Order: sequence, then structure tokens, then C-alpha cells
Amino acid sequence: MQRVVAARDPSTIGGSGWNPARLARLRRRRARGIIGWGLCGLALGLLSVAMLWILLLVFWRGITALRPEIFTHVTQGTGGGLLNAIEGTLLIGVGSMLLAIPLGVGAGLYIALFSYTWWAKTIRFLSDVLVGVPSIVLGYFGYITMVELAGWGFSLAAAAITIGILCLPYICRSTELALLQVPNALKEAAYALGAGDGRVAFQIALPAALPGVLTGILLAFAISIGETAPLIYTAGWSDYLWTGKFTHAPLGYLTYAIWAFINEPFASANALAYAAAFLVTFMVLLISIAARTAMSRR
Amino acid sequence: MSINRRRFVAVGIIAAGLGLAGAAAPARADDVTLLETGSSLLYPLFNLWVPAYSQAHPGVKITTQSTGSGTGISEAVSGLAQIGASDAYLADAMMKQHPDMLNIPLAISSQMVNYNLPGLNGDHLKLSGPVLAGIYQGKIKTWNDAAIAKLNPSVKLPDHPIITIHRTDGSGDTFIFTQYLSFSTPDWMNDIAYGTTISWPAAPGAIGATGNQGMISALKGNEYSIAYIGISFKKAIEDEKLGEAALENKAGKFVLSSARTVQAAAASKITDTPKDGRVSLIFAPGDDSYPIINYEYAIVKSRQSNAAAASTLKAFLSWAIAPDGGNQASFLDQVSFVALPEQVRQLSATLINQIQGSGDEARQ
Amino acid sequence: MRFRTWLALVAGVLPASIVAILAFLASYSWPAIRFNGWGFVTRNTWSLGNLYAEPITRGGVQVMPGAHYGILFLIVGTLLSTLIALIIAVPVGIGTAVFLAEAVPGRLRLWVSFCVELLAAVPSVVFGLWGFAVLIPLLGHYVFPAFAGALWFVPFFQPPYGSGYGLLTAGLVLSLMIVPLIAATLRDAIVAEPMVVRESAAALGATKFETVWRVVLPGVRAVLIGVTILATGRALGETMAVLMVSGNALNYLPPNIYSPISTMAAFIVSQLDSALQDPSGLAVRSLAEVALVLSVISIAVNSAARFVLYKTRTARA
Repeated sequence: MQRVVAARDPSTIGGSGWNPARLARLRRRRARGIIGWGLCGLALGLLSVAMLWILLLVFWRGITALRPEIFTHVTQGTGGGLLNAIEGTLLIGVGSMLLAIPLGVGAGLYIALFSYTWWAKTIRFLSDVLVGVPSIVLGYFGYITMVELAGWGFSLAAAAITIGILCLPYICRSTELALLQVPNALKEAAYALGAGDGRVAFQIALPAALPGVLTGILLAFAISIGETAPLIYTAGWSDYLWTGKFTHAPLGYLTYAIWAFINEPFASANALAYAAAFLVTFMVLLISIAARTAMSRR
Repeated sequence: MSINRRRFVAVGIIAAGLGLAGAAAPARADDVTLLETGSSLLYPLFNLWVPAYSQAHPGVKITTQSTGSGTGISEAVSGLAQIGASDAYLADAMMKQHPDMLNIPLAISSQMVNYNLPGLNGDHLKLSGPVLAGIYQGKIKTWNDAAIAKLNPSVKLPDHPIITIHRTDGSGDTFIFTQYLSFSTPDWMNDIAYGTTISWPAAPGAIGATGNQGMISALKGNEYSIAYIGISFKKAIEDEKLGEAALENKAGKFVLSSARTVQAAAASKITDTPKDGRVSLIFAPGDDSYPIINYEYAIVKSRQSNAAAASTLKAFLSWAIAPDGGNQASFLDQVSFVALPEQVRQLSATLINQIQGSGDEARQ
Repeated sequence: MRFRTWLALVAGVLPASIVAILAFLASYSWPAIRFNGWGFVTRNTWSLGNLYAEPITRGGVQVMPGAHYGILFLIVGTLLSTLIALIIAVPVGIGTAVFLAEAVPGRLRLWVSFCVELLAAVPSVVFGLWGFAVLIPLLGHYVFPAFAGALWFVPFFQPPYGSGYGLLTAGLVLSLMIVPLIAATLRDAIVAEPMVVRESAAALGATKFETVWRVVLPGVRAVLIGVTILATGRALGETMAVLMVSGNALNYLPPNIYSPISTMAAFIVSQLDSALQDPSGLAVRSLAEVALVLSVISIAVNSAARFVLYKTRTARA
């Protein structure tokens, strides 16, 4: 039971009325309230200013740096375009999703359908642990195991697997949450009509939960596009388009261009950095907006 | 949409995506991709070489990356990169562990010591090895310290703490700079010695930067700071109106970096170059010699994993050292490098010949 | 195979991967753990030794002379930058959440909250870009001198204030990254508080602000604690933004709030690809040890947060 702190004035015990002391207290409380709201508004204001500043910087310098060459040419040293980086980002995003979606949705399905089993509890616990692991640790893991020890070198395979592992817990969690929203009656009716576990899962539960699952997938895709540190050590960097090989072929990606080129004392490199920042931020915001409208529309 | 149609749409989207990815790769069967990574000092030169070479040899795709000599060495040794650009040659311990590594000199470069002092950036302060060692050790704390004033009697030095900027990444610039400090200051040699990655003494407010580019950003952004920066960024330094110090050479004279002083130093040191290319060119004798010069190396594994990469590497590196190829004045002047003398060029050519792909018969 | 077994196997890849990662880190860093001992977290020296000298044998391992691995400065840098980020982000987050939940009318609230949440989606490297391009010159030339001047009597805030690269900048950028998380979660929790509580307070004569400050907020205290711990976990693992603004200090502890620092995550990024220069291999393995320490701290913090939040969810239900 919470203790409600009431603004009870002891002088009103045994009678009330608007004596001057009470009025003064009321005015003080109101003043404190105004200051309080002011501070809260200030907090929101500060946050908004910072947010607008970041977005304006990226969009203003990014748009002025966008030329058709960015989309038609590959990077040449510190100049050229970003076609290789755009292609690489999309390849890594799609590749990691191809790995993470079946495995993540599967994990989410299992946890939601069989939540009473010890296996489901273990998966949920370890999924939370995986979320807590910083992305650079995953990059380190990918670098030593896949790039060095397995001998794949900088490659799409190493990058996609590493980012896929990164995204797994997000897809798993959102699938689980979406499936939990599906009314039990629906599943019970299916079972009653003689459907097996598989049919209930794939033809009843999952389709009903699809908007939530898709939202989770979209948000994971946005995360995979925005990653940098793990990719530095798994995808490497390439000034050219993908050679088609899954191993022994480094890839370019947009976030590298941001990080590596902003420091260069050459204007062409800085322009590439801002253009890449604009493209990545724009894509991520677009996906986030799409995900949230999908979720709210259901 | 019915469930089945949704499935078809999903499969269709995935198929289209893969198809696009495949179609976007314009790889021809005989395209060779090489990765050059490492020295930020050598990076501007590689960015001049690669477009010129690729235009003449369309099937060759070389990616350039500025990651620091330490990374160049590491990735060349582990085979992740075919060319490890490095201002530093490999250590004895490394050569013993990886005897198949080649240190191929490509050109001769040098290093500046730059500073950012309001009003004094045009004045070319005189600095010596022991003074710089003292600054980076934190023993010389302010600009108007007696040791600096002694070298610059006519300059009004400000009373302000010195902000030292050093490289955090494994850096060939750190290697040659610390060699300059080690060979002139026994105190530094005993405590710290030289290397691409060293344990920098804790000077107050010391900033770590990544790459020569980061050094320039940090120098530009901090007044009263000092940094060591490779010669290929000389134009960037001049554009930002930052100062360059005149360094004390072996003969006790204070010289600025220029084609003349670097040539003088190179001429007096090249006879010392051993067959494997690994030698320090610091403190070349001569009144006019610039003290901090070095060979720019391509660290290459002599046993490459495939024959096509090996032959492309050999062709490219041979072009790079040729006086009418990469070593011509039109390239080197843009980065203030000096061409390889003829006898060193022969040495490099011999080393380049040792590169083979697996399956080739061993040569020599 | 039964569907359930087959699904269990597919679902098993997720737990298998995290177990594999932690097992790998532990086993790969074991030689370094043995070599470094407890001094790893108490010493302030990270040195690969003299790579150009002859290897010597120490502790049964062949190493370069002078090789010592100690990460105290990394741990301090990580904790301090996260602390500063929290000190800034928690009040701003609470204020934003309260304002959004109580003072902003219905439809507008949806849009403004939406915008605040969008900030959470911006990639870390873009924050680093803004920090590098905008914040560092601004702080270095205007704000730090003003701070140092105004707060000269506070020990940690005294000059020298060097450049814009440093602890305070890193803390500011980190705080910007975690505020949306705190604000959004807290706003949801405040909105979910039952109206009854607010009505009771109003009936007793409380002003609107007093209702929120003394009645509603204490009610969401557990959520606040949980989300703060969650935000801490996020800030501890931040890499790129910190790498670009922190100044990359090596082997020294920050003497004041403007000094450069290094964090564990940023250190791994900047040192990993050149660690293979060390022929003894200890540098790479010591980085694995850093990754292990970072993971353990991060996982512990994250688990604590989820535990607290899980309890509030079940308590509410």
C-alpha cells in the first residue's frame, strides 16, 4: 500500500478557510510546480535540441555531399563514390537476416509455444545474456575464429554470421512477444480440430503474430545496417564491388566510410563520410518508421 | 493476402535480392583483387599509384586502406592482406618466426615534427632528440622550458603546458620517431626503446590519435600541442598553417625536411642497406642530412596462396619501384618522397622475384 | 522427428552461440590470464614490450622484454564515462518522460515520443561523427574554458582542459545515446500507472506537479532502477562513438574531467588488428581477456536490470 503524500495543511484541522498562511503555502506549492514543469520541459527541450542538431548535421552535410557519382562509382582511395559500400551494407544486412530470421523466429516460437519446458527457460535466459554482450566482443570472436583460425579472411560469410548472431536475440524476443499476444483460444481450437504442433505453429500462431514478428525483423535489420565495430574485423574493407565469393573477399560497407573518412584531411573523403552517414541514418530511420507504423496498424 | 501468396512473395523477394547481388558483381573471370593495408604515411602514395596502374591494367583491383603500419605487418603476416604497407621493417623476432616475409623498399620517405603554437607556426622552432624525448616523457612540461629556450634563444616561447600527441595504433611513424629519440637519448633507449607500438610515458594531457590523419586533426584542434607526422601530409600541414620544427641531425645542425636534405641523407646511408632491406636510415651523417628518413616497405609474404595473386603482385610491385612507373617524379613529388637509388631498386627487384604462388616451382 | 524436437534444435542455435562465444573467450584468453594474473585489473600499464628486441622467458612463456598487460585505466575510463553519462541522462530522461506523459496532450504526445524514440535508432558511429565534427570544437573552445573558469573550486573540474577530446565529451555523447531508452521506458510506465492513484492525490489537494513528483514517480521507482541499469549496460559496451571522441589515453588515469580516457570496448577496436605484431601472441590473448572482462561486467549489469524489470512486471500482474 503506497503512502500517498497529501498536501494536507495542519492548520485546516478543526476547520478550514482561506487564511493568509494557507494562501501563501498554496502559492509556494504552485510556484514549485511551475519550476518543476519548467525543468521537465527544459529536459525535453535539451533532448530535442541535441536530436535536431545531430539529424540536421547529418542531413545537411550529407545531402550537399550527395552527387550521382556516389551511386554509380566505387570508392577510389579517398574519393570516388559509395556504390561498393552501399552494396556491401545491403549484402551484409540481407545475409545476416537470412541466418537470423529462421533461427530467431524458431527460437521465439519454441519459447512461446513450449514456455513451460526447461529448454525454453534456458533459451530465454541465454538470449538475455547474448543481448548484454557488447558488439565488439562478437567482432573479436568472429575475427579470431572465422577470419583467422578458420582461414576465411575478411569475408561476407564471417560478417553475416557475426551480425546474424548479434541480431538473434532481438528477433527471438520480438517473435516471442508477438506470439504471446495471440489468443490461446485460437491455438486450442486448432488443436481441437486435430492439428499437430507444426501446423498450429506455422499456419495458425505465426501468421496471427506476423506484424509483431515483422516489426522485430525490421528493427534487427536496422541494427545490422548500423553496426561498425564487428564489421571492421570481419568484413574488412574493399574499394570494389562484391566478387561473389563468400570467403577470402573483403567487403565495403557504409559505416566504415563514416568512421575512416571523417578524419582524413581531404575534402573529398569528408564528403564521402557525410554522404555515407546520411545514407545509413536515412535507411535506419525509414526502417524504424516502417516498423512502428506496421506495429501500430495491427 | 493468403498464406500461400505471402510465401511466394517472400521467396520472390529473397530470390530477387540474391539475383541483384549476383548481377551487381561485375567480376570477370580474370579479375584479381588485392588488399593493401597499413601505413598512413604511404597511403596517399598508394592512392596515386592504384588509379594509374588500374587504368593501364584493367583486370587488377587493388583496395587501399590506411590502418597503420602495425596492422599492415599483422595482416601481411597472417595473409589477410597481400601488401602490408609499413614504414617499419620487421623485427628479428618476427623474421625468425615468419622467415617467408619480405621487406621490399618502395621509396624513401621522411617525417616531420609539427606543432601548433599561436603566432609561432611560421618560425620553425629548433628541436633536438633529447628535447623531444624529454617532452614526450613529461619531463619538459612547458613550452618555455629552459631546454627548449636554449635551442631557440631569439624566440619568445609561451608559458603553457605542452600537449603531446602520439599514435595509438601500431604505427611506422611511431617506429621512426622513437628510433630518432632512442638513438639520440640513452635514457629513452633504456626505458622505452623503439617500436611500432610502445608504452608511451604518462605525460599530462597526452592525446592519442589514429593515423597521420588523426594526428593532424588533433594538432589542428589543440593549441600548444606537438605531434610527429609523415612527410606525405606536408601540404595538409601547410594548408592548416601549422608549424614544422627544424630537427637536429647527427652533425649538430638543425634542418627542415626538404627534397634536398632527404636526398643528402639517403645518399650517405644507402650503402648500409643489407640484402633483406631491413635497415634504419635515422641519423644519416652529413651537415645537410635530414635526420628522420626511412624506407617505405611493402611487407609481403613470399609464398602467396594463389598463382594469379602472386604474379599480379610481382607485376604491380615491379611497376611501383620502376623509375618510369611508380617511382617517377610526378607521383613522388606529390607526397614529397624520394625515389629509390638504383642499387636499392635492384635489391627490391631481387626481393620481388621471390614472391611465388602455391604450385609454382621454387625459384632461385 | 517430432516437430517439437526439431524446433528445439533450431532454437538451440541461439544459446549455443552465446555459450560458444563465452567458452571461446575463456579458453583463448587462458594463457594471458595465467601470465597476467590479478595485476591485469590493478596495473596501469599496457605494453607489448620491446618488439624489436630478443624475446625472453618470463612466467614460463616467451615474451618480448617489458611486456606487461594491465587495464586499470580502461576499467576506470569505462566506469567514469558511464557514470557521467548516467548523471546527465537519468535526470533528463525522467524530466522528458514526465513532461511527455503528463504535460503533452494526446496526439502530440504520440508524435513527440516517436521522435524521441527515433534517436535511439541512430547508429553509434553517427553519434561519433556528430561528437567529432560539432561537439569537440564547441566544447574545446567555449564550454570547457567556461566550466574551468566557473568551477575552479571543484577539484575534478580544474584546468588544464586541453582539447575537446576527453571524459566529459565521451560522457555527453553516451548520455545522448541512452536518454531515449530511459525516457521511453519511463514514459510507458508513468502512463500505465492507474488513474486511481492520481485521482486520490488530486482529491487530497495536491497540485498536478506534486501528484507526479510525489505519487506517480515513486510508484515507477522499480522501473526507473531497472531501466537505469539497462542503460548502464548499453553505455558500458558502446564502442564507436567513444572511440571517436575520447582522446584514447594510454596508461594513465584521468586527472580531471576534461582529460582523455580510454574505454575497454574502444581499446579493443583500436588495438586488435595490430596486436598480431607480437610474435608471442600474448597481445591478442590479452585483448581476449579485456573482451572477457567487458563481457562479464556487461552481462552482469544487463541481467541485474532484467531481473529488476521482470520483478516489476510480475508484481504488476
